[in-house]
Amino acid sequence: MSTTTDTSARTRTGHLGEGTWWHGRSGLLVPLILGAFSTYLLIGILTMDVAEDADPPGPQFFPMIIMVLGYVITVLLTIAIIRNPEPVDADTAAPAEAREEKAFSTPVTSAVAASRLSPHEEDEPSADRRALAEARAEDASHRTHSDFTSLAWAIGGFAAFAAILEFAGWIIAAALLFWCVARAMGSRRPLFDLTLALTFSSLVYLAFAVLLGLNLPSGLLGGEF
Amino acid sequence: MDALSSLMEGFTHALTPINLLWVLVGCFLGTAVGVLPGLGSSMAVALLLPMTFALDPTGAFIMFAGVYFGGLFGDSTMAILMNTPGQASAIASTFEGHKMARAGRAPQALATAAIGAFIGGFVSCFLVVFIGPLLADLSANFGPAEFLALALFAFVATSSVVADSVLKGLMALLLGIGISVIGIDSVSGTERFTFGVPELFDGVSLVTVTVGMLALGEVFYIASRIRRKAADNTINASGRPFLSGREFKEALPAWLRGTAIGLPFGVVPVGGADVPTFMAYGLERKLDSRRADPQFGKGAIRGLAAPEAAGSATTGIAMGALFALGLPISATAAIMLAAFRQYGLQPGPLLFDRAPELVWALIASFFIAMIVLLIINLPFAPLWAKLLKIPEPYLYGGIAVFCGLGIYATSASTFELFVLLGIAIISFVLKRYGVPLAPLMIGMVLGPLAETNLRDALLASGNDLSVLISSPIAVVLYLILIAALIYTGTGRVLARRRQRARAEALAAR
Repeated sequence: MSTTTDTSARTRTGHLGEGTWWHGRSGLLVPLILGAFSTYLLIGILTMDVAEDADPPGPQFFPMIIMVLGYVITVLLTIAIIRNPEPVDADTAAPAEAREEKAFSTPVTSAVAASRLSPHEEDEPSADRRALAEARAEDASHRTHSDFTSLAWAIGGFAAFAAILEFAGWIIAAALLFWCVARAMGSRRPLFDLTLALTFSSLVYLAFAVLLGLNLPSGLLGGEF
Repeated sequence: MDALSSLMEGFTHALTPINLLWVLVGCFLGTAVGVLPGLGSSMAVALLLPMTFALDPTGAFIMFAGVYFGGLFGDSTMAILMNTPGQASAIASTFEGHKMARAGRAPQALATAAIGAFIGGFVSCFLVVFIGPLLADLSANFGPAEFLALALFAFVATSSVVADSVLKGLMALLLGIGISVIGIDSVSGTERFTFGVPELFDGVSLVTVTVGMLALGEVFYIASRIRRKAADNTINASGRPFLSGREFKEALPAWLRGTAIGLPFGVVPVGGADVPTFMAYGLERKLDSRRADPQFGKGAIRGLAAPEAAGSATTGIAMGALFALGLPISATAAIMLAAFRQYGLQPGPLLFDRAPELVWALIASFFIAMIVLLIINLPFAPLWAKLLKIPEPYLYGGIAVFCGLGIYATSASTFELFVLLGIAIISFVLKRYGVPLAPLMIGMVLGPLAETNLRDALLASGNDLSVLISSPIAVVLYLILIAALIYTGTGRVLARRRQRARAEALAAR
């Protein structure tokens, strides 16, 4: 098993924070989101303009509970992630998921997860077991490494769609979105994709705007429809 | 036999040609989305939510019912043929189901799953006919304190008892409740957390959150993983799609046991059908190991039949609980609840009185949907598998366009599209780090309910906290909750110990 994991570790391209303390701790983004949101609530509560005659459990009461709990969970999550960084390499025998579940688990789900990890692994022939182990090692090395190029195409495509929709019109904007997402998903035929995207967005326009009467902007091509 | 006559009347409403058409469309769409890899029924409902506002409420909900149950059927087709469950509730079906398929019995596995889902769904819908009105009567006596207890129960159960991690579950829950308090406060009319942005006065739309979390976020997540995929292990399913008499007899007790396990979970808000499916699977495995010739591991028909029936039974009863109590037990049910609100209907004790036609037509359409699904799934399951041939780039490109279409069509504002994008990015991060999204949806839907009832209860009693535990029903709910938490806590310590022992054993090997 060790040979397979070694190759998988070597073939992985370098990624952000390799070898630093942050390695495997990018999960700190999660408490960061919650902390930021709690702060948003805090500022909102402090600046809230409450009428004088509002009855005692006023509009700030409930959000206050949420905010306080939010900060508590933020701290606890941060501690949990610092103490149990996400497994980055699959170089140990224990399956990565088992280690993660040590930090976060409940009886129901650990039973569930245990059965998910190894549905009767003991009954499998040894070749299958090796294949399973390899697949798991592969999986473990994938876990930590998002494909940021693909992600950027998808997110950028949607942002562009939202930005130009009202100016350029549905057909052009939606075709652009379709094309970007197709590219993000690994399509390598830009010209074919472009025709397909334009056909698709035009069909959607015909079906939803012309037939069902939804309000979709016609934009630049407005004169033609 | 009041309920039966109401049901018959429901059938007369549901059996109009146009409503039948919606059931059919819903079943087809649901199955199609369920079959597609990585897409589950909650995504189907999320994508369709904005589209159905063009329909009348009855038609829209009938279609939803078709989509919901169709997604369940489609998920298990996927789980069996490709070993990739679209939804957590289909995971238990992959174990024996995929083994059956690998052993050359794919069509029979699909038939077992379809019949199992049919039996579970049918029995549970039948029970809903009688239990629904009873539950509604019971909950008619509920005051603010009881509703608050119910909401808290749902919060804690979905985020702690079921989520992979208590902290991550609570985090999602708080985020959901937090989003729901944005906008003008319904009690005092105060602007909350809008910072003067007029688009936020009505709050963040639940439709936007749903589509962003469950559909667009999923597209981003898949984009980040698309080039890191395991080898394709789809199995071609052609041949006799019917069960022999012997196979049927073998599976029948498992179907019934699965149904019996699934039914009670429909009213317990523990986040959907995944727990009962695993319990049903575990029970069958235990029973099997006592037999002279254990079948598990070789593609046991019972190991597939029981979880399928359990999942479907839970889903059916959950619908009844949604109507009668206004309590969603899964993300999909939460979306349905949101849809009811969009039409100005509040599920709960009064729904059976205020909109009996809608409720009974909807329950009747469950039965119709079950039959339609059995017809389109039993002989044609292998055909559905052909949907897998759509190239992924175009599939997800299309889904992204539909996300944009749905949100722009309902809001007609670019601002809402950017909110959608922001939510989808957050959803991607949460998914990436294994934060469950169901508690978020449930927090968002039940947050306002919890807040108004808490404030009503405190207002009526002059800020006396003891009012919250002054009624027997509320006390019982809290006691059950505490018992569940203690059970979870002790079990968790034991599971950790076991896991550590296992890791050490593995390391020593």
